[in-house]
Amino acid sequence: MTGSASAAPTGGAPRLLRPSGAPAGPVDEHTLVLGIETSCDETAAALVLGGYDVASSVVSTQVDLHAQYGGVVPEIASRAHLDVLNPVVARAIVEAGVPDRRIDAIACTIGPGLIGALLVGVSAAKSLALAWDVPFVGVHHHEAHLYAAFLEDPTLEFPLVVLLVSGGHTMLIEMQDHGRYRLLGRTIDDAAGEAFDKVARFLGLGYPGGPAIDREAARGNPEAIPFPRAMLHDGLDVSFSGLKTAVMNHVRKHPDVSSEDVAASFQAAVVDVLVQKSRRAAQQVGAKGLVLAGGVAANSLLREQFLDACEADGIHAFLPSREMCTDNAAMIAAAGWHRLRSDGPTPLDCGAFPNLRIPGLT
Amino acid sequence: MLILGIETATEQVSVAIGGHEGVLGMFEVCRGRRHAETLTPAIQFVCAQADIDIAEIGLVAVDVGPGLFTGMRVGLAAAKALAQALRVPMIGMSSLDLLAFPLRFSDRTIAAVVDARKGELFYAFYKPVPGGVQRVLEPRCGTVDDLIGDIMARGDDTLCVGDGALRYRDEIRADLRCEFAEQFLSRPSAAPLVQLAHARALREDWVNPWEIQPLYLRLPDAQINWSTREQGRTDQTGPIER
Ligand SMILES: [Zn+2]
Repeated sequence: MTGSASAAPTGGAPRLLRPSGAPAGPVDEHTLVLGIETSCDETAAALVLGGYDVASSVVSTQVDLHAQYGGVVPEIASRAHLDVLNPVVARAIVEAGVPDRRIDAIACTIGPGLIGALLVGVSAAKSLALAWDVPFVGVHHHEAHLYAAFLEDPTLEFPLVVLLVSGGHTMLIEMQDHGRYRLLGRTIDDAAGEAFDKVARFLGLGYPGGPAIDREAARGNPEAIPFPRAMLHDGLDVSFSGLKTAVMNHVRKHPDVSSEDVAASFQAAVVDVLVQKSRRAAQQVGAKGLVLAGGVAANSLLREQFLDACEADGIHAFLPSREMCTDNAAMIAAAGWHRLRSDGPTPLDCGAFPNLRIPGLT
Repeated sequence: MLILGIETATEQVSVAIGGHEGVLGMFEVCRGRRHAETLTPAIQFVCAQADIDIAEIGLVAVDVGPGLFTGMRVGLAAAKALAQALRVPMIGMSSLDLLAFPLRFSDRTIAAVVDARKGELFYAFYKPVPGGVQRVLEPRCGTVDDLIGDIMARGDDTLCVGDGALRYRDEIRADLRCEFAEQFLSRPSAAPLVQLAHARALREDWVNPWEIQPLYLRLPDAQINWSTREQGRTDQTGPIER
């Protein structure tokens, strides 16, 4: 990310030769970007034309490899990325039906994420840029999640409020324009997805926790147990650690409680907080639209209540398809197209940044 | 045929290019920035300075380990992607072979030893033969005591090479009368990689990029802990939370 070069903390080290494989041509509706994503446990590649048109999107998930450990094991993830990345990239190109020399730029997640996993994608992406003599552009994983919405609804108008909820993060972001963001609120402890995983593990529902809780909750009563809604009327930050503890205490005190009811009541508490905060955020900034993003956005109760709330408030709601909620490379290619247009190529001495901040976030 | 060699199995980043005339250009650095930051500009630099267009590369050779996992994956991912994009074949070679090859004119048994960290070493033994070296002990992962035991078991005069050998030089010397190769030979280099790959390329002894297999020689910790736990013992380190 050259423009906001502070975002790529490569320090004052010397930049060798040209900034990337080739000077970027005009970035327009004909620009075909190959996106690569390896930040966590999905290996993905996609081709996106002009920033909005998905020509192909291939995702290879490792969820089965990590299931027995109840969480993503970094070394196992990195090994799997290296094993499958070449075929995943090859398939994305074949499915798009274009010759590989037609590709105009390579976009890749450079952070945040697991360092070893990120490095597999970044190293491969830079090689592709070098071999095909096209620009390389580093992409922030969360910025890409924000762009997932534009792939399915290019008519979205600014300002937008995006609720980004995943295993790693929970934030409310105002998208003022392309590349201009304001952090409105975030979790002060666990991410929503993390809370789902921990509660699911505690209830013995397996991994990953999100879908497991979703399934279990469908058969339970969401009003059975009045779990706390922390900080509900208090600003735009959220907290889930107290809720998680309350669930565990309740189950310890009432060992015979139905896990369906616990899951349903827990999920209702999480969704309640997320929806109320999003609603308030949208009102505060006068948002034209409210967008869901991130893996937890696949949760059925959250989708339902999010839509209801937007309808009640007369605000445009956007729910990405489930494929676009979870990690994919189409969103990386889309965000890469916008970054390439605003900032130009990323230097080829770029590494990976496990704790990267969103560029342009104030 | 021009061969690009990429080697990142230890702390060093090494890139070389060459062909039937031998090694034409090379870049090597073992401190400073990390593998991923250095490697791509290094490839660009070597090719530019040797006046070679990337598209002229006919084969990509890569060190497949054993070595430091994250570093060696940077080289493997970069090499495989480059070969895939250029539609050229690959040759994978072990870091231990690369350490032993430059010492082929010694009359001793060669112990190539890469530091595996966490108190362990990756090592293999070689005998000099006409034109090269021949493996006489297959690559393995063990402690310095394992290494000393394996050298003693052979009873040969031994020449130790590699960052692992230098790290445990005192322990090895305390038990054995070994010689140690120079410090500048202690990391596998892309120069012997290109030279050895060239000989194999003449026999068309190569593979497709997706057939290249890393040589880890050690399971991920979580898997080791998991099997330990399965046997009824406990462990401290679990997987990280999502
Ligand atoms: Zn994500």
